[in-house]
Amino acid sequence: MSFPALSLERVSLALGAFALRDISFSLEMGQVFVILGPSGSGKTMLLETIAGFYKPDSGRIRIGDRDVTQATPETRRIGFMFQDYALFPHLTVAQNINFGLRFRRKDSGSAGNSRIRDLLAQLGLERIAERKPTNLSGGEKQRVALARALAAEPALFLFDEPLSALDASTRDTLRGELKTLLCELGITTIYVTHDLTEALIFADRIAVIRDGALLQVGAPADIFNAPVNEFVAKFVGTDNVIEGRVLSTHDGISEIELATGQIVEAADNGATRSSRVLACIRPEDVVLTCAAPTNSGARNRFSARIVNIEALGPVLKIHLDCGFPLSVYLTRQSFLELGIAKGGQICASIKASVIHLIGCS
Amino acid sequence: MRETNPLQSRMLFFVFSFASGLLLAFILIPLLRMYTTQTPTSLMRIAEMEDVRSAIGLSLEAAFLTALLAVIFGIPLAYILSRAAFPGKGIVEVLVDLPLTVPHTVVGIALLYVFGRTGIIGQPIARLTGLNFWGTISGIVIAMLFVSVPYTVNSARIGFESVDPRLEKVARTLGAGPWRVFSCVTLPLARRGIITGLMLTYARSISEFGAVIILSYYPMTAPVKIYDLFLQSGLGDSSAMAVLFLTVVLILFIILRQLARGLGNTGNKPS
Repeated sequence: MSFPALSLERVSLALGAFALRDISFSLEMGQVFVILGPSGSGKTMLLETIAGFYKPDSGRIRIGDRDVTQATPETRRIGFMFQDYALFPHLTVAQNINFGLRFRRKDSGSAGNSRIRDLLAQLGLERIAERKPTNLSGGEKQRVALARALAAEPALFLFDEPLSALDASTRDTLRGELKTLLCELGITTIYVTHDLTEALIFADRIAVIRDGALLQVGAPADIFNAPVNEFVAKFVGTDNVIEGRVLSTHDGISEIELATGQIVEAADNGATRSSRVLACIRPEDVVLTCAAPTNSGARNRFSARIVNIEALGPVLKIHLDCGFPLSVYLTRQSFLELGIAKGGQICASIKASVIHLIGCS
Repeated sequence: MRETNPLQSRMLFFVFSFASGLLLAFILIPLLRMYTTQTPTSLMRIAEMEDVRSAIGLSLEAAFLTALLAVIFGIPLAYILSRAAFPGKGIVEVLVDLPLTVPHTVVGIALLYVFGRTGIIGQPIARLTGLNFWGTISGIVIAMLFVSVPYTVNSARIGFESVDPRLEKVARTLGAGPWRVFSCVTLPLARRGIITGLMLTYARSISEFGAVIILSYYPMTAPVKIYDLFLQSGLGDSSAMAVLFLTVVLILFIILRQLARGLGNTGNKPS
């Protein structure tokens, strides 16, 4: 019988103002599982509960075939990577790496030394082995922390927003480096973040957490394209979530009357006739044209007034009034070609296939 | 920061420097004046007295033992105060600082009731173990500990608070049990605060007079002996011993400071 690398069964815990509510999931060996949620959603608490810093009030936690629900952190074999990595400032790089080795290995002598040399070599740290961590670069710190965790031979890696305190360009570099390392190491990993981009880059699976409860667990594409509720939709960047009512469903096309009176057609028959739904439209899925296009396959076309223009760097976000509010991403090039100006008129087309419906019970 | 530093103002700088200068002079002048009353011969004469030398030795020894006890009992409390939240924490904090506010003669009298010949702890301990707090170095250490232990607790607490709890957590995940985490991570990282606390406790213990003289007049520590000389032989002899004692203590502290600096500065720079 093979066990999942990690499994949580109905884990609940109340701690002051924070709580974890009935959390269940399991991880396959080597998987990277991203827990995505806003600050204060219980991400770190969940991670620290898995690490053993908090004991659940109820539920079970298993690492492989071991039930670790009541185990102390030092016996769980977990590599915990904190934000800015929490390297021991009083120890050199080599001593930091040796820290875990001392407690894990009985043969801490020459075998231990060769293990340290291997790790230093594997992560390219030989040159800085005798330095103290204070003056290392972000990338060096990241690799030292990984080497230190690896020395203790973890069954599981836990990352607590390791990149969130960095400036944008350093973050991009370290993110790439970390992705490569995680792929090479193939260790089962839970990665906590509030950043959607990080989640999409690292994740084999994503869980969205809010108020200590998992709202949705699934493949990145599922979370991204088929959020289960308005919170998840907004959190993964679906700005346009509009209330409506299903008028009819035929041939895989649902006809929706929006609360503001407009009719849209969605190629999503998950919602039943006459039930109340939320129509989700990602801002990058809307096409803008100067006049109503004659040869477009898009079923939904709206004449819109341009309410506001936000420059976001690589793209612009255009806020439209189609009778209902609609946000649209445009590249700078399209923006110039369309000659968009605040207060002007434009045509917005939305394919039926890009509208995702969330049923409201 | 430089641009906003109020010391950039010429007027403020002048006023502050003047006030600071007065304060430093106020500290230095009495001590220097005392030195000028002495000649090498008067100092030699007093240094040759056996009871003077043993009183100075006793002061150094008792203060050392006090610092040792302060570490053993002060560090656990300091760590609890730095890490734990519990009902009544405020009361514990007040309790820790209490010895700093109680007049030292009052401390001596209070300790007498507990550790004296008929004290509620002193009497049974004397009967059971023969350890007597009245008229022994034990009594001196008890008096010194009471007035000086707040310095160890408070400084060590600041030291512990400067240690990122995530370092302790990460050490746990790396396989270290709670005791190993404390000894291998927390204690070395908090050592600067602990050493500062020890120095202050040692200094405060050496200078203690009021509590010591009431709990344990004999054997005489240096401050008690200086007072005794003042009463028996007048200002001349007592100020000679005062200068001698002060010199010993100053040299000792310069050495300790250097040692502490060496210990405290090995890579534990706040980042």
